[in-house]
Amino acid sequence: MTINRRQFIKANAVAAAAAVAGVTIPATASNLITSSDITKLKWDKAACRFCGTGCSVNVGVMDGKVVATHGDIKSPVNKGLSCVKGYFLSKIMYGKDRLTTPLLRMTNGKYDKEGEFTPVSWDKAFDIMAEKAKAALKKDGPKAVGMFGSGQWTVQEGYAALKLMKAGFRTNNIDPNARHCMASAVGGFMRTFGIDEPMGCYDDLEAADAFVLWGSNMAEMHPILWTRLTDRRLSAPHVKVAVLSTFEHRSFDLADNGMIFTPQTDLAILNYIAHYIIETGRVNKDFVNKHTNFRLGETDIGYGLRPEHPLEQKAKNNGKTAGSSTPIDFDEYAKFVSTYTLEYTSKLSGVPEHKLEALAELYADPKIKVTSFWTMGFNQHTRGVWANNLVYNIHLLTGKISTPGNSPFSLTGQPSACGTAREVGTFSHRLPADMVVSNPKHRAIAEKIWDLPEGTIPATPGYHAVLQNRMLKDGKLNFYWVQCNNNMQAAANINEEAYPGYRNPKNFIVVSDPYPTVTAQAADLILPTAMWVEKEGVYGNAERRTQSWYQMVEAPKGAKSDLWQLVEFSKRFKVEDVWSEELIAKKPSVRGKTLFDVLYKTASLEKFALDEIPEDRLNDESRDFGFYIQKGLFEEYASFGRGHAHDLAPYDRYHQERGLRWPVVNGKETKWRFKEGSDPYVKPGSGWDFYGKKDGRAIIFALPYEPAAESPDEEYDLWLSTGRVLEHWHSGSMTQRVPELYKAMPDALVYMHPDDAKARNMRRGDLVKLISRRGEVQTRVETRGRNKPPRGLVFMPWFDASRLVNKVTLDATDPLSKETDYKKCAIKIVKV
Amino acid sequence: MKNLNLASITGLTVLVLALLFSSFIASAADKSEINTLATLRDHTEITEQKEPVRIPNVVNKDIKQKRNYPMQPPVIPHTTRSYEVNMNNNKCLSCHSRQRTEESQAPMVSVTHFMNRDGNFLAEISPRRYFCNQCHVTQVDAEPLVENTFTDMHSLMKKKVTSAEND
Amino acid sequence: MKNILLIGWRTLTKPSGYYSLGALVIGGFIAGIIFWGGFNTALDITNTEEFCISCHEMENNVYEELKTTIHFSNRSGVRATCPDCHVPHKWTDKIARKMQASKEVWGAIFGTINTREKFLVHRKRLAQNEWERLKANDSLECRNCHNFDYMDFTQQSERAAYQHSTALASGEKTCIDCHKGIAHQLPDMKGVEGW
Repeated sequence: MTINRRQFIKANAVAAAAAVAGVTIPATASNLITSSDITKLKWDKAACRFCGTGCSVNVGVMDGKVVATHGDIKSPVNKGLSCVKGYFLSKIMYGKDRLTTPLLRMTNGKYDKEGEFTPVSWDKAFDIMAEKAKAALKKDGPKAVGMFGSGQWTVQEGYAALKLMKAGFRTNNIDPNARHCMASAVGGFMRTFGIDEPMGCYDDLEAADAFVLWGSNMAEMHPILWTRLTDRRLSAPHVKVAVLSTFEHRSFDLADNGMIFTPQTDLAILNYIAHYIIETGRVNKDFVNKHTNFRLGETDIGYGLRPEHPLEQKAKNNGKTAGSSTPIDFDEYAKFVSTYTLEYTSKLSGVPEHKLEALAELYADPKIKVTSFWTMGFNQHTRGVWANNLVYNIHLLTGKISTPGNSPFSLTGQPSACGTAREVGTFSHRLPADMVVSNPKHRAIAEKIWDLPEGTIPATPGYHAVLQNRMLKDGKLNFYWVQCNNNMQAAANINEEAYPGYRNPKNFIVVSDPYPTVTAQAADLILPTAMWVEKEGVYGNAERRTQSWYQMVEAPKGAKSDLWQLVEFSKRFKVEDVWSEELIAKKPSVRGKTLFDVLYKTASLEKFALDEIPEDRLNDESRDFGFYIQKGLFEEYASFGRGHAHDLAPYDRYHQERGLRWPVVNGKETKWRFKEGSDPYVKPGSGWDFYGKKDGRAIIFALPYEPAAESPDEEYDLWLSTGRVLEHWHSGSMTQRVPELYKAMPDALVYMHPDDAKARNMRRGDLVKLISRRGEVQTRVETRGRNKPPRGLVFMPWFDASRLVNKVTLDATDPLSKETDYKKCAIKIVKV
Repeated sequence: MKNLNLASITGLTVLVLALLFSSFIASAADKSEINTLATLRDHTEITEQKEPVRIPNVVNKDIKQKRNYPMQPPVIPHTTRSYEVNMNNNKCLSCHSRQRTEESQAPMVSVTHFMNRDGNFLAEISPRRYFCNQCHVTQVDAEPLVENTFTDMHSLMKKKVTSAEND
Repeated sequence: MKNILLIGWRTLTKPSGYYSLGALVIGGFIAGIIFWGGFNTALDITNTEEFCISCHEMENNVYEELKTTIHFSNRSGVRATCPDCHVPHKWTDKIARKMQASKEVWGAIFGTINTREKFLVHRKRLAQNEWERLKANDSLECRNCHNFDYMDFTQQSERAAYQHSTALASGEKTCIDCHKGIAHQLPDMKGVEGW
């Protein structure tokens, strides 16, 4: 019913008259529903489903549906704000094509790799999965099974998956999509500090005098942090913002010093700044002498391509020694960086000299508190670990670290890249709390906590993300489970690696997802999955903040959470199916038990009973398994880090707080690590203590500029950079299904300079093909959008499932972090 | 007569074949639709690509859209081509700021925008809200690829009111 | 030297005893055409976009910015070039503008705005000059193409139709009052009316 203005006035007049007369009129006489029974919304807090900022949002539920979301005023991260994606969270679960039944490729009622997707029961789905996993294990052992997980898994899901793979199936072939995103940051932290994740926190945003963005378009990718940075810049006029990128983007709107550099030359600029600090006598000698060591890193380390690739054949040190280094002293270091003169660096990078000097001065001036932010520009880089090391160098040389506003700050892309991928350690070489599988002591600790026999966890790292696709193609990885990510749209060079790998007849591919993604399309079995507030979980954001939420609504009937899938699947395996007799003999009590009994229904988890869940709360998984499984998993996982500088608070506390930044010691969170007074782990009297390293000293690395894996030449004459946009998150599998977000940014266009277009006889809107040595993709030209590339470089985002730019990109990786460089490859563009 | 028969037989055969063929094509299309599940890819195999659609135009009708819930930032009902929001100026505020709305007749930015991080109201719009385009977006003239079944809270309430009245 | 000038002057002031009046008139006429044509050609050349952007100050700043705007690329391909907006069409105004432009030649020689940074420092003043000029001549150069009498309000967005049919129609506002920064980026707009 619609009421026009006249009717409204009339109705109000009647109501007023009725009130005077003292009579009540029926509710429908008013166009405003006022009964509190009806208008009441059930509000609850949750972590935003999207980026690594880790905003807290309030979720409004009515009759089992999410009907509203907005920024949580109580959250220190976002203080009531959300970005446009966050405001539309309420619609991400309601795309009409939500999957509600497992789908198996079948012909004539039987599994067939070339068959049609056919609805099957969960029982049948797990039957075929178990059959295929067992066959792979039997044929080639644990190396033939693998899993590709996610920095969007909840902490509990990641931990359950880690246990299932590393202890259950005894394979290290588990890696998260965070490999594409944060692995270089992890490598940088481990190499420089010996412990992962930022020392600072978002409070730096209100304390800094200068911000430097290194390959980070915060305005689009971390909008809420950008609101804080904007707030600081505009409300305190002395604050300066420097932005470096290979093309102009929205973050330049706030830049006092915007710099466009030639791809890969960021390495040289970083070394130039170190040289400038030394040359102008602004090294903080006291800090450097007390808290740092200098080392010279190995060079010419290759590009993480297949070994037979000419670039790998040519590289001298792309083997095991790639990450090695030798000690040097300050003078040797100073000499090393002295080749990066202003003139040389300006010429190499294309950045005018005065801009480089102004940038260097922000770091060199002892009075300026400077915070550096970086994201994929550094991390998705064939020298990504180096880039991370080099930015720490400048903060360490000046002692601008671990104090409010002085902060080298690696931002994350995924909501739980830190919480789940890094802290839980769902990488092929890792275990929880920064431990690694190659260290026998670390394995022993994990086996003890898990109450498993010694030798359960294999010692050699498994296949990392890029290697997984190569091994699928080579037929060496035969049972493969993908959860909570869309790698067929994300992985580079799918034409040559991922797609033939998934469709290799030797392999069985399972994809769990709420929606039919490109990856699901390439699968053999699709499992319909519950998402976000359809389950209980914990995420960890970029400032070490751990946040939890309760399940608020039921998932669509038939969809099950990743946690439920993992745990339920474990019931299909007897220990004898997966472990050697030798291993079982070390702990005969496991004989005859299922992996569910050994890994999940253990004393350590089961002690958290169902009655600990508030009665009015949903919790489908726990009520199904008979104990409070999310709490059990969390508490067991937390025991890895407690007392080891990774302390988490008791689980229940997170339901009360808008997150806490670890280490949480004596109930108190830690804002700045490694600094006496703010970090309880720092030795008294030391001032700073980089306790990740045995001698408490961080490392300043001498590392050179080395060229990119592929640069434009005569035939492939343009750089291609890929990335995200504000309105869509990652591959767009959630945001493309929200009509408002879709209509805000429907298609991935190729952004190019108007002169580059003109030189190719192209104009805005023209249908073109981007062609690389690996494949091609069609799209349309944009010459005047929000991104303004310089001549010689084009940018195309990857959110668009119908325009797969990853058919074109190169799967070159940083040989240290194994993270793909999505920002640089050579292409040509032709009119279709 | 004989010739005629031959002609009609040929004609019939062609017709039958054409029908058969077209039904084959139709079933092939259904088959691939079911099999690919590619809702965001217009049911195209991963190895294929359909011709990308033209760049759609931004809706410029100045007609307000209903919000999905009260807290939703309204979408922009007009083009913003060449509108600058940067250190020098904020084009949006030249119509939507409190001082400008009388002349521009544009909606004023909401009062929440005057709140700083601590929830105190400032005399001017808080700089944390400076970049309007972080929450407010234009809309293009394109049909969503996938329908969204989000429920408006009002429709749930109306249902309850109606059922309460019927009781 | 002095003598030569004196002889020349005497020759010019002396009535012609040798050439016929007709020849003189025709000769003067031809010379006039050549002179005038040369002047006009020079004027025309300096009135082209090529000439404007032959200075890198123009090419790298204002012209680069123009490329993404609607006055450069649009539906019908009717493009505004630099002189369309920045040089008056009326002859007297044009000459006046050209005389002002001598200052720009000076600026080009001495590199007043030869870097982006220097240009940005001067941008507000430069923009204000243009706004003032357009305000004073009732946005004449806009109106050379955008003639109010022929605007079809039904083809405009509601917002535009409202403003054009009221404020613009009444003469209360002129084009530049609302349409600043449509062809180039804006300077710092602090203190500018309407901002």
